[in-house]
Amino acid sequence: MKSFSKSAKRLGLVLIAVLALPSVLFAAEEIKIGVLFPLTGGAASAGRELRAGAELAADIANNVMPDLNMTMAKNAGIKSLGGAKITLIFKDHEGNPTLGADLAKKLILDDKVHGLMGAYHSAVTKAVSGVAEQYGVPLINDSSTSPDLTRQGYKWFWRATPHDNYFTKDLFEFLKGMTEGKVKGLAAVPKKDITNLAAACEKTEWGSAVAELIEKFAKEYGFELKKSILYGAKATDLSGEVRSLTAVKPDAMLFASYGSDSILMMKTLKDQKAQTRVLWGQNAGFEVPEFVNTLGDTTIGVLTRTVFIPKVGQVKPVAAKVNAMYKAKTGNDLSGASARAFTGLQAWVHVLEKAGSLKPEDIQKAANAIEIAGEELVVPWQGIKFATTGEDIGQNILGSGLIGQYQKRADGKIDLEIVYPFNLATANMIYPFPKF
Amino acid sequence: MEAIRNALDFSDFPKTDLGVALAVLVFLFCFPFFPHSAFAMATMIQFFIFSLYGMGWNTIGGYGGQVDLGKAQYVGIGAYTTMVCLLRWDIPFWVSMPIGAGLSICWSFIIGYPLFKLKGHYFAIATIATSLVLKDLFEVWKFVGAARGLGILPYKYHPPDFWRLIFKEDVYYYYIIFAFFIVGLLYMNWFRKSRLGYQLRSIKDNEEVARSLGVNVHWAKIKTYAIATAFVSVVGSFHAVYVKNIEPEDTMSLDISILIALMAMLGGAGSLWGPVIGAGVLIPLKSYLKEWLGAAAGLLGIDLIIYGIIIMIISAFEPRGLWGIIEKIRRRRRI
Repeated sequence: MKSFSKSAKRLGLVLIAVLALPSVLFAAEEIKIGVLFPLTGGAASAGRELRAGAELAADIANNVMPDLNMTMAKNAGIKSLGGAKITLIFKDHEGNPTLGADLAKKLILDDKVHGLMGAYHSAVTKAVSGVAEQYGVPLINDSSTSPDLTRQGYKWFWRATPHDNYFTKDLFEFLKGMTEGKVKGLAAVPKKDITNLAAACEKTEWGSAVAELIEKFAKEYGFELKKSILYGAKATDLSGEVRSLTAVKPDAMLFASYGSDSILMMKTLKDQKAQTRVLWGQNAGFEVPEFVNTLGDTTIGVLTRTVFIPKVGQVKPVAAKVNAMYKAKTGNDLSGASARAFTGLQAWVHVLEKAGSLKPEDIQKAANAIEIAGEELVVPWQGIKFATTGEDIGQNILGSGLIGQYQKRADGKIDLEIVYPFNLATANMIYPFPKF
Repeated sequence: MEAIRNALDFSDFPKTDLGVALAVLVFLFCFPFFPHSAFAMATMIQFFIFSLYGMGWNTIGGYGGQVDLGKAQYVGIGAYTTMVCLLRWDIPFWVSMPIGAGLSICWSFIIGYPLFKLKGHYFAIATIATSLVLKDLFEVWKFVGAARGLGILPYKYHPPDFWRLIFKEDVYYYYIIFAFFIVGLLYMNWFRKSRLGYQLRSIKDNEEVARSLGVNVHWAKIKTYAIATAFVSVVGSFHAVYVKNIEPEDTMSLDISILIALMAMLGGAGSLWGPVIGAGVLIPLKSYLKEWLGAAAGLLGIDLIIYGIIIMIISAFEPRGLWGIIEKIRRRRRI
């Protein structure tokens, strides 16, 4: 009887040891990053792009890829953490801030993630950043551009992408450049030809911020904003909105649209035979693959701000290689969304490598000190360095934007050509915008 | 005193019902003591929130038969009052919540008077319209943050703050909304046996007959609408401090109004337990279907399809909702 209880005790100890084994042995084997994107709803197409971009970056970080000239491709996993691999846990917030905040809580408390990334919609990012701040969990944002996000005074929030203050300024620099003859293939346009502007922006955090910035920069650069409206991205009819825009006979139409609304907006503009000389979209819905796939030739001449255009690969070999890998995986070129998700996760990898620890305080310290060189990135930025002082705490101060224009190639395919910055232009600009 | 006695008197329910209700209440009270995930806790809080919304809707929609599809406007008034009071003047929740309810009641009187001149579908459409108009106004009203909304910056407060209702752990929110739930349930128990409750049921059965019996139909509807409004507004205030970030698109959308009506209708409109059963089934179903079959499983959208099919099956099988199904089974057994 005594020997039986002894063996039972031993067996119990062995069992406890076996059960405890994984948590001891494999503690450093997995780094969990919770990723919140809109995988269903109006911006689902962007969500798919974002997810694929982040997954590709995680693949590269977790495996050795000697052909790729990136630090994260040189090691399998995070070297400073003993080769620990990154696991992405995706959550679908549907573009809903309340749901986003709930899911962030779940990721932090249930899934015990070491950090967060996301959430594309600025309104959702705002809610999620509040949760991250409350629980002291690092959140690196890849693709939300409302300037306010880095002006909340948060200590656990960093943003890799440039925000709309940069992008909208780029737009007005571009319009100014048009009047000065700086645009490739275009003689100086008289300012009176592009003075009158009309803007329509979706009405959540992001679109409202863009609308305010357009108003601010229009004044600063001497343009006249004749009409500025906010509309619901879930709208099923935009004919009233388009009618009020065309009523002011704008020389340039400016949009901030998320997904299905950008397509609806273009269709309605076409139905009403709207006329304008310049048509510009603030990224998002204007550069997801569905935009061109659905609208086809209607997109020719449309300008969109972005951070990535496949043509960047001509001057950045690393971008060309990553783009080829992404295309092999998804069938599409990298877009501004997927390139930023890729870059966001790349920033995470560098931060973890520098931190060499999974303690939130160490990650925080590393994020504040990190500097990633521009040649590491697929996007044409000078690099990534997060501000630790000033107005925009946590904002990458080395980012920049591009403006692309949809043009038809010789083989009939529609592609984005770079028109801004002027020194990177890859094609002559189509001006004025072709009639619908 | 009489009202309290009535609120506590459940003697007209079969003992089985009361036994089940008591067991559920004990479970709900003990839930935080069991091992649970943060997701389960959030789902439970959502269940309480929508049960209370449903109870409010049930007064005018269930007992009164007036299909109100504009409840989100009162969620918005409650949520915004609390948020604006807190952020601008540091007025705590327990003060701003009744202010919000008061404002909601005032607004309900303003729109209720003309609205109840309408009947049937026209009333439902008008409630949607007023709610959307108010949402549009909030979206351009800079004082309340316009379309970008308002948010509580977590580092400005020191949780647990019972006065402002700002906590880091959800368990505090759980017990506060649980307390609201009990009060709501008792109130509804009193309401269904009150003079107004009987008047409403007579109005629902036949308005002309009710009028001939001396019921002031228009006034009874307005009063009930105000009660429904107060319920929703109080929970709206709670919602603001719980989610800490509100914007019109999220707080006052048509989706919220529809969901509120759906909970009560599917659970069983016009019955005490209906909204609770509706929320108890639909909220976990929605959350867990999404969790198990959504992004993680790579089956995007399938959760919504299954959710929709379940709603359709229940509606087709028994238009009086889940409570109707329970009663049907009971009647069959008696036969």
